[in-house]
Amino acid sequence: MPRVVKSREEFEGEIFESLVLVEGKDLPVARAGTEFTEIGKSRRRVDGAQRVTGRARYTQDVYLPGMLHVRVLRSPYPRARVRRIDTKKAEALPGVRDVLHRFNAPKAAFRGEDTIFREEVRFVGDEVAAVAADDEQTAVEALRLIEVDYELLPHVVDLEEAIGDVAPRLDTDGNVAEAATHKRGDAKRGLKEADFVIDATYRTSTQLHNSLETHGAVAAWDGEQLTVYESTQHVFGVRTGLRAALKLPFSKIRVLCDYMGGGFGSKGGVGKYSIIASLFTMRLGRPVRCVLTREEENIAAGNRSATLQQMRLGGKDGRITALEHTSWANVGQGKWVANPTGPTNTLYDIANLSSKSYKVVTNAGSLAAFRAPGYVEGTFALESAIDELALKMGVDPLVLRRKHAASPKDPMVGKRYSDKHLIECYRIGAAEIGWQRRRSGGVRGSGPHRRRGIGMATQIWGGGGGPPAYATVHVNPDGTIVLTTGSQDIGTGTRTVLAQICADELGVDLEDVQVRLGDTDNPYGPISAGSLTTASVGPAVRIAARDAREQLLDAAAGVLETPQAELRLEGGVVVTKGARTPLSEILGKVDNNTVIGKGGRHPNDPELSLRTFGAHFADVEVDVRTGEITIEHIVAVHDIGRIINPTTARSQVEGGVIQALGFALSEERFVDRATGRVMNANLENYKVPTVQDVPAKITVKFVDRPDRKANNLGVKGLGEPPIIPTAAAIANAVANATGARVRHAPLTRARVLEALAIAEARS
Amino acid sequence: MNAFSYARPRALAEALRMLRNGAVALAGGTDLVGLMKDGLARPTSLVDLTGIEGLRGWSHAKGRGLRIGALTPLVELETSDALAKTMPILRESLRDAATVQLRTMGTVGGNLLQRNRCWYFRDEGTVCWLKGGNRCFAIDGENRYHAIIGASECVIVSPSDLVPALLAYDAEVGVTSSRGTRKMKLGDLFVTPKGRDRREHALRPGELITEVRVPEAALARRGTYLKAMDRKAWSFALVSVAAAARVERGVARDVRLIVGGIAPVPWRVVAAEKGLEGSALDEAACADAADRLLAGATPLRDNGYKVTLARELIRRALRSLVA
Repeated sequence: MPRVVKSREEFEGEIFESLVLVEGKDLPVARAGTEFTEIGKSRRRVDGAQRVTGRARYTQDVYLPGMLHVRVLRSPYPRARVRRIDTKKAEALPGVRDVLHRFNAPKAAFRGEDTIFREEVRFVGDEVAAVAADDEQTAVEALRLIEVDYELLPHVVDLEEAIGDVAPRLDTDGNVAEAATHKRGDAKRGLKEADFVIDATYRTSTQLHNSLETHGAVAAWDGEQLTVYESTQHVFGVRTGLRAALKLPFSKIRVLCDYMGGGFGSKGGVGKYSIIASLFTMRLGRPVRCVLTREEENIAAGNRSATLQQMRLGGKDGRITALEHTSWANVGQGKWVANPTGPTNTLYDIANLSSKSYKVVTNAGSLAAFRAPGYVEGTFALESAIDELALKMGVDPLVLRRKHAASPKDPMVGKRYSDKHLIECYRIGAAEIGWQRRRSGGVRGSGPHRRRGIGMATQIWGGGGGPPAYATVHVNPDGTIVLTTGSQDIGTGTRTVLAQICADELGVDLEDVQVRLGDTDNPYGPISAGSLTTASVGPAVRIAARDAREQLLDAAAGVLETPQAELRLEGGVVVTKGARTPLSEILGKVDNNTVIGKGGRHPNDPELSLRTFGAHFADVEVDVRTGEITIEHIVAVHDIGRIINPTTARSQVEGGVIQALGFALSEERFVDRATGRVMNANLENYKVPTVQDVPAKITVKFVDRPDRKANNLGVKGLGEPPIIPTAAAIANAVANATGARVRHAPLTRARVLEALAIAEARS
Repeated sequence: MNAFSYARPRALAEALRMLRNGAVALAGGTDLVGLMKDGLARPTSLVDLTGIEGLRGWSHAKGRGLRIGALTPLVELETSDALAKTMPILRESLRDAATVQLRTMGTVGGNLLQRNRCWYFRDEGTVCWLKGGNRCFAIDGENRYHAIIGASECVIVSPSDLVPALLAYDAEVGVTSSRGTRKMKLGDLFVTPKGRDRREHALRPGELITEVRVPEAALARRGTYLKAMDRKAWSFALVSVAAAARVERGVARDVRLIVGGIAPVPWRVVAAEKGLEGSALDEAACADAADRLLAGATPLRDNGYKVTLARELIRRALRSLVA
């Protein structure tokens, strides 16, 4: 019998309480020493062949018969009023089928507004009109023919200018709004009593997601049903957004996402492109494709906010006495802020602490969640400052951290952690990098003017997952399995990991399990974000597989005329004392049957704090005359509970480290202050790491102990942890190597050379 | 991209006739196609040169210098061991240029004539001075990649990796049009946009580069190419330096020193080279050369680091000649 229970989950650093529907009892965590057939085993991706042969169909590959193509006219101004739009010439162009803009588009709810074409456009890239045409080229040409009368309004795009007094006020309450505060003890007194104080300002630049697949949707209306193919991290979220925008019931909307080329947080819900495609298909009755270009992706599809952060730290007798952190984040036109103060509040057991996070609106593209939003930016500032304090105090930065990292209790909410092995992460990482080789001031590098150094930083994040998440396991009469859930595989290996959990619990071979996901006609699956998929959907899959197994054993007991208790299911074979009967043979004796197992995720223990922990260590070489940084070795150690698939887990960490390298060294959006235009909305000047930038050595280690209090698998998430501490570890290694402290990520040549000049002048 | 006509003639004369009538030359397309996609070039007629015989490949007639056909793909020069022995700086410069895909498509002639990479120039929505507007947006804007020296109304920088290396060998270019042929020093191909002349290249309408020639005497030089980038690959130079000389009994003769990425044209200061003539390329001489080459540098808000980088790369490049 289903029942409603209260649940408490963490998502992207925030705690949410909700009511969820659960059924039956949760399964116990496997006993220590349990022999698994699939869990904990390295497996190649079940969809690897489809992906590498190009057969996998991504949203961008969806071409439906009679499909029209949409291009969007975007504001060339950072802030303006759209007074008049003349589309006559565009509509006269052969091949143009329809044009939508603020004067003819129906009202459509979108993120708190009631239109997708604003009267006042608020950043370069804001949607002004859209054209549907027979082909993309025609749509592009039509955009040039639309005449718009703009009334220009004063604008501000830069974070520090927007905070200042002279900037135009974009919101009635001003540009700056307090978003989150936390206080414990007395930070002011702690600083006063300290023997050593660090007072420093850190900055992080705007990072762009640059998912390989850009945002986009293909929508098809058949008069009754709206089918939307969308590159998304949450098909159910898209469905909710479409229902609100189009006033259609859920039953008439189906959202599909089979293969997906990355989202990193930016594809969390419905986009204006999906609403535009849906409006067109419902007006025209033909399928409509609206997929962003790389440039649109980089001006209008979200970003990691630039931040300005002030850190004050006090130290005395080898300990941290106080921590004050104030952060301002440029959210563009975003309605929320990813608080960089999250790690400050939760990572270390520091008695006197005060933090404030401010949201700053500007006329730049809005933030979107970006892999550990807030935590990447905040950890850069926090962990850099802690190293600066350790240097001033003359103590080993790892020793200083250890003193505040061992507590079994969450210092912010006061609850016990379900599990925590951070000190073990430090031990493993220090051994792997050779921390004992670290010398204050660094060592000589591989050539003249080259210095080498080691640094580290700590990671904290959620990743405990929670309900709701559901799965069903269909067993075919030939003994093969179809596992169905509404979750999506955004490139992380979800399909593979869920298939392993299913095969293991059910007692069948991995290749007999097909996983169907990314479909709102499936049982509900949560957003693929917040590092929550394995820990949310995995336990549901296990229950569904157990349910199916029980039913199969009942069937086998009937067919074999043997008590169920004497039967086992192993590798698709029913084993009795002395006999082995393939599942297919047993089911073959029962006319056309379908066995369906069901499972849902049970709530987390509300008295516990579920967190993931880790530490990264960096070994770098710096050319002190040219500012060039070369990463020799990154060691990444994470405590995320039990590892389901060591291969996909290692891939996640390597990917996180490489994406972090971009944030640390080269990725940075530039916006022209006078025109509000993004100068590098392309892959030429927005510099993601190339394969040559990847360190020669990335060592990945896991504590790999099941978190027995987290869920029935003892697993936690890994999507975000590996991008969090890398940049700070690198900045700390650069400081160790050269004595130069770079307080602005990315650590470009200009910034490194400037910091080196300051360090030289001081010494 | 706008609609255009396309032709791929076999004969050079036919291509020249089409160029005279306003067609735009297409070789590897690695720059032109991007300009067209971004709406920065809207040619009505393209003439694809890749069908023309005799403009591809290189040859060395001992004693009479070296000739490189304008349609030679960059990768062909990069991968030739024989050429690497004759002109080692060339391979060094090409290995750091773009990506192997771009070097496979890109040609020598196209590389010499590529447009600058200024992000205001490359932004279709910005009508900057170089595109006929009335001001340069970079001078007071985002200028970390822009010129520190030698600029006038426009602060673009010379983007090519190949060009400084060729200049270190005193390269000349052969230019043809339907009116005839002429030779010019490679250095004279590049012009600083200023006043009413908003061009980056000195080629006249209808003219085509057919070849690059390197005099035999220059092949006696040895040298190096150094390039600083924002990441380890696939980036235009923040600063690049080509240095070459004959070093006889520890003394430098016939020095060439060209710096890319800092000025609207490949930056060469004869006084800097002359000052090194007969020197042992010791630290003092190298510093003096850097001073002379960078004299008058006026960095903008965000590109002062290029002075530091240029100074160090010049020092390293020159010192390596006597190492």
